[in-house]
Amino acid sequence: MSVTDVLATGAEFAPVLIVLGSALLAFLLDVVGVRRLEAVGGVVVAGTGVAFLLVLADLGLGFLGPLRTIPAATVNAVPAAGASPLYAFTSFGLVFQALFLVAAFLVGLASLSRDSHEAGAPIFYGLLGLATVGMLLVAVASDLIFLLLAVEVTSLATYLLVGYTRRGARPLEAAMKFYIIGAASSTLSFFGASLLYGAYGTTNLYRIAAVAGGVGYPVLALLGYGFLIAGLAFKTTLVPFHAWAVDVYDGAPTDVSAFLAGGSKKVGVFAFFLVFLGPVLYVHPGAPGNPFSGGPIALGPIVQLTLAVLAVLTMTVGNVLALLQREMKRLLAYSSISQAGYILLGIAIGTSPALAGATFQALAHVLSKGAAFLVVAGVAGLGVGPLVDDWRGLGSRRPLTCAAFSLLLLSLAGVPLTIGFVSKFVLFSAAVEAQGYFVWLAVAGLLNSALSVFYYARILRAMYFEAPAGGDAGAPPLTSRLAAGGLGYGRAAAIAVATLAVVALGIYPQPVLGPIQAAATHFLGLGA
Amino acid sequence: MVLGLLIGIGEGFSPGRTTNVQILWLHLPPSAQFPNGFSLVMGTLVDPLSALVLMVVTVVGFLVLLYSIGYMHQDRGLARYYAELSLFLASMSALVVANNLLEFFLFWELVGVCSYFLIGFYYEKPSAASAAKEAFLVTRVGDVMFLLGIFLYFYLYAAAGPAGLGGWAANGFVFVHNGQPFLAGATSSSTLATVAGLMILGGAAGKSAQFPLHVWLPDAMEGPTTVSALIHAATMVAAGVYLLAVTSVFLGFTSFDQLVIVAIGGFTAFFAATMAVVHPDIKRVIAYSTISQLGYMVLAVGAGFTAVGLYHLFTHAFFKALLFLAAGSVIHAVGTQDLFKMGGLRRSMRLTSVAFAVGGLALAGIPPFAGFWSKDDILASVYSQLGAHPLYWPFFLLAFAAVFLTAYYIFRAWFLAFSGSGPRDPSLPHAHEGPWTMQVPLVVLSVLAAGAGMFAFLPGFANLLERGPGIPPHFGTTEILLSGASLALAVGGIALAWALWGNGRVYALPASSPAQAVRRLLLERYYFKAAYDWIGARGVNTVARAADFFDVYVIDGVVHGFEGAFGGLSDRLRRIQSGVVSDYASYLVAGLIGVFALLLLIAPFLLARVGGG
Repeated sequence: MSVTDVLATGAEFAPVLIVLGSALLAFLLDVVGVRRLEAVGGVVVAGTGVAFLLVLADLGLGFLGPLRTIPAATVNAVPAAGASPLYAFTSFGLVFQALFLVAAFLVGLASLSRDSHEAGAPIFYGLLGLATVGMLLVAVASDLIFLLLAVEVTSLATYLLVGYTRRGARPLEAAMKFYIIGAASSTLSFFGASLLYGAYGTTNLYRIAAVAGGVGYPVLALLGYGFLIAGLAFKTTLVPFHAWAVDVYDGAPTDVSAFLAGGSKKVGVFAFFLVFLGPVLYVHPGAPGNPFSGGPIALGPIVQLTLAVLAVLTMTVGNVLALLQREMKRLLAYSSISQAGYILLGIAIGTSPALAGATFQALAHVLSKGAAFLVVAGVAGLGVGPLVDDWRGLGSRRPLTCAAFSLLLLSLAGVPLTIGFVSKFVLFSAAVEAQGYFVWLAVAGLLNSALSVFYYARILRAMYFEAPAGGDAGAPPLTSRLAAGGLGYGRAAAIAVATLAVVALGIYPQPVLGPIQAAATHFLGLGA
Repeated sequence: MVLGLLIGIGEGFSPGRTTNVQILWLHLPPSAQFPNGFSLVMGTLVDPLSALVLMVVTVVGFLVLLYSIGYMHQDRGLARYYAELSLFLASMSALVVANNLLEFFLFWELVGVCSYFLIGFYYEKPSAASAAKEAFLVTRVGDVMFLLGIFLYFYLYAAAGPAGLGGWAANGFVFVHNGQPFLAGATSSSTLATVAGLMILGGAAGKSAQFPLHVWLPDAMEGPTTVSALIHAATMVAAGVYLLAVTSVFLGFTSFDQLVIVAIGGFTAFFAATMAVVHPDIKRVIAYSTISQLGYMVLAVGAGFTAVGLYHLFTHAFFKALLFLAAGSVIHAVGTQDLFKMGGLRRSMRLTSVAFAVGGLALAGIPPFAGFWSKDDILASVYSQLGAHPLYWPFFLLAFAAVFLTAYYIFRAWFLAFSGSGPRDPSLPHAHEGPWTMQVPLVVLSVLAAGAGMFAFLPGFANLLERGPGIPPHFGTTEILLSGASLALAVGGIALAWALWGNGRVYALPASSPAQAVRRLLLERYYFKAAYDWIGARGVNTVARAADFFDVYVIDGVVHGFEGAFGGLSDRLRRIQSGVVSDYASYLVAGLIGVFALLLLIAPFLLARVGGG
């Protein structure tokens, strides 16, 4: 299938095309000499915003009905055998498209508030758009090669994003590390895919499911899945494939860190869902023709257990190391790693409530962690240093910002009345309902949540209960430009939107949780 | 307030109508435990029951807010005061119209926390701060029982309900469906249901200050008098009675539960009245009286006369709020709560003295004032059950005897404060009436306290109370005889109060009298508080010491051990996070090997040993 074919397919790719168009326009504006941040950024932000509305329309959100580009029947139906072998529009994929677009939109909006004379704005926005295009394609993939190529599109754009400033040793170093480890991981993924092709003779995920039902699971397939786990674990920052993440999140411009942690990491999450749940490893118990009852090796439980071990390892190591951090960005990076562990729990459990919980957890993480990084970026712009201790007494000097940041941290810790609580509640209750050793996963998750409260509380304590070193007089003066203009309108709006969503969905989650549950159930039903 | 009244009147003219609006709040899909899924909803239910109480909450709430403008004008922290009071009113209204048990509990906790804030409004005063804590902790005992009750009911009825709706679990603990109790016909009378009912009673006893959880209410008088009038007389403490009413209508009590409720109610009615007899503090006298009157309501609900209990709740809210606001007017004027320092206030505070007298007459049950109708309705209703339930007898008699005490203590307070030639303590400032914002509520409440009892004979109002027998009051020979007897007791009580305290007299019990021991016992509140303090101090100390030990040796040990371990490891850790790419690549390879080990060896081995997940 060539690019022209994709274009001819028409309307269903409208969100992707709009974002792609806006990204290309950003580069074009750079070439013709329009380098104003507001113009270039506005194009991409508007593009992601419009694409977001279109995706919501496709999900069947009532009042957006006229914007709908994909018929409801297509979204909610099992793809026919004759349908395109490369991609399929499922409601679950659309949920993730919406999630990616939220991340891109918030980061884009916040970045409008940077120095307008800063060089490289068009490049930043163009790359942001291109990365988003890759993410949107991941969400509709139904073929391993299509999936991995889309992941690659995202990865290449994000490598460049990390180092786009082209100044300063740290971002460049981070970009290099990111690129080298990322390339190695890509190799593993593709190798795994080729082994699977060797085992089953197809790379289409739905056909693999069909063939595997008859052929069973030879060791070749196991090896293939092993390589895929390793390759995708890099994107998802699972321990022990996480080491790059801390250096990269720390070294990258903080807005880019927000995008990496909040947005592009979820690509790996969705790829995990796609490869190991829906069409391939349909693990819903009691479904007709459950492949695990017959084959030579019961792969489902093995993969579940493997992923469960990785999940517990990830959240524990992430949380413990976060406890030891003194730098704000590294702390958030480790906390981000541990959150990936929670999300992975949902895949390991594999029931539809768990999948919905994991997705909701992913949404919670996009909003909470993404916005938290945005706050850190803004506050760094005010002249506050990188250490947690540098935030001492900031609560009284920047009350609104710190209130928002506190809410975001409480959400990450899973305190009631925030989205983080609801998502963990749904996820862990799904683990308990699944019985077996999954109950212990819930226990591990709860213990980890308790552990994480310590380091979030440390930040709160620094902000509200500790005086700046040397008293108020000793506090470093806030940079004059930003002290006057605050965080800037774009950044303030992005943080406000995310914080309000965190609280609103914490108080009344059902309007968003309901569709996610329906989509998750449908997604798991695809493989039946 | 207007909205509340409109809802109330509207409900009155459309008998038996229930309006239920709800939204799905959280839904978990079906699972093995809940084959129809699990849902939580938030909704509003307006039915006769809730409309009546909603009217009380909004009317009294409005009058108290108006009164506050005058009463509180000298206080600091007014923003805090009005914010907390408004939050209370919002939560209380939401509690009343909650359409499911969990939502009820949510707002139940919210009004509890508002009560805690407002009791401790003068938090600089140690006594106020400790009273707030006491109220919070004692009601907490009840709240925990309430929550346990919810769990037990949930365990019992998760799958019950109208056919095709998927049971209580799938519908979020709702009370009604299509105007009928959701669990109609499904309620059980097993031991477990009995225990659940008792747990609910525990919750109600905590909130409504029933024996043995009554200790917090008198101390709650540390809050501003307006708060006492609104929260600790008219509305929040009545929430316990309302909970019993709601439970008895929608969930049902077993007959053993009913007996226990009757016992608690009847006993508390008498028990609290005895303590009111000797107390020198005007607000605490009224507080004991509140406990006692709540006991009457609990008694009525327990005996199966929900509507009668709520009828008394309705009238009591008005005359008790009136008494509190009148007392507040006195306190505002003279700056003390000690009855023995006051006296002769009748001359300088005519309106207040009349208002207090109206409230007192209503409380004592003198016709045609409000309390007479509802209290006698309770006594007559319970009397009608005595044939079927002979075990109710002692508690009926206690409640009957309390009528005498009630009349006595409230008029003792009136004579001490208002009659005589002048204050006994000459240092008191010259008393004067408060501003109009304080006078208007007194007048309105006086009218209501005088007339609200007869509302039960209005056709529309009777509709509001239709959920249960006993409304409107029926007057046959038995009832008239009973009324006559209780009226005689009340008049006797007033007469005794006049004989001992009227006209400025101060009755001093001879020091050698054996009754001194009784007086001490009553003043010390039967040593309940002392006993609780002792138990609390001992128990809490033990627990605290254990917790301290745990904290110091176990938690700190773990944390420090952790620190030590990681401190020692820090070099190695730093080497792990080295920043060198080739190191990271080697982790990648190690991770890959680990994944293969898991996939090919460990997981199959474990699964073969323990069986699949």
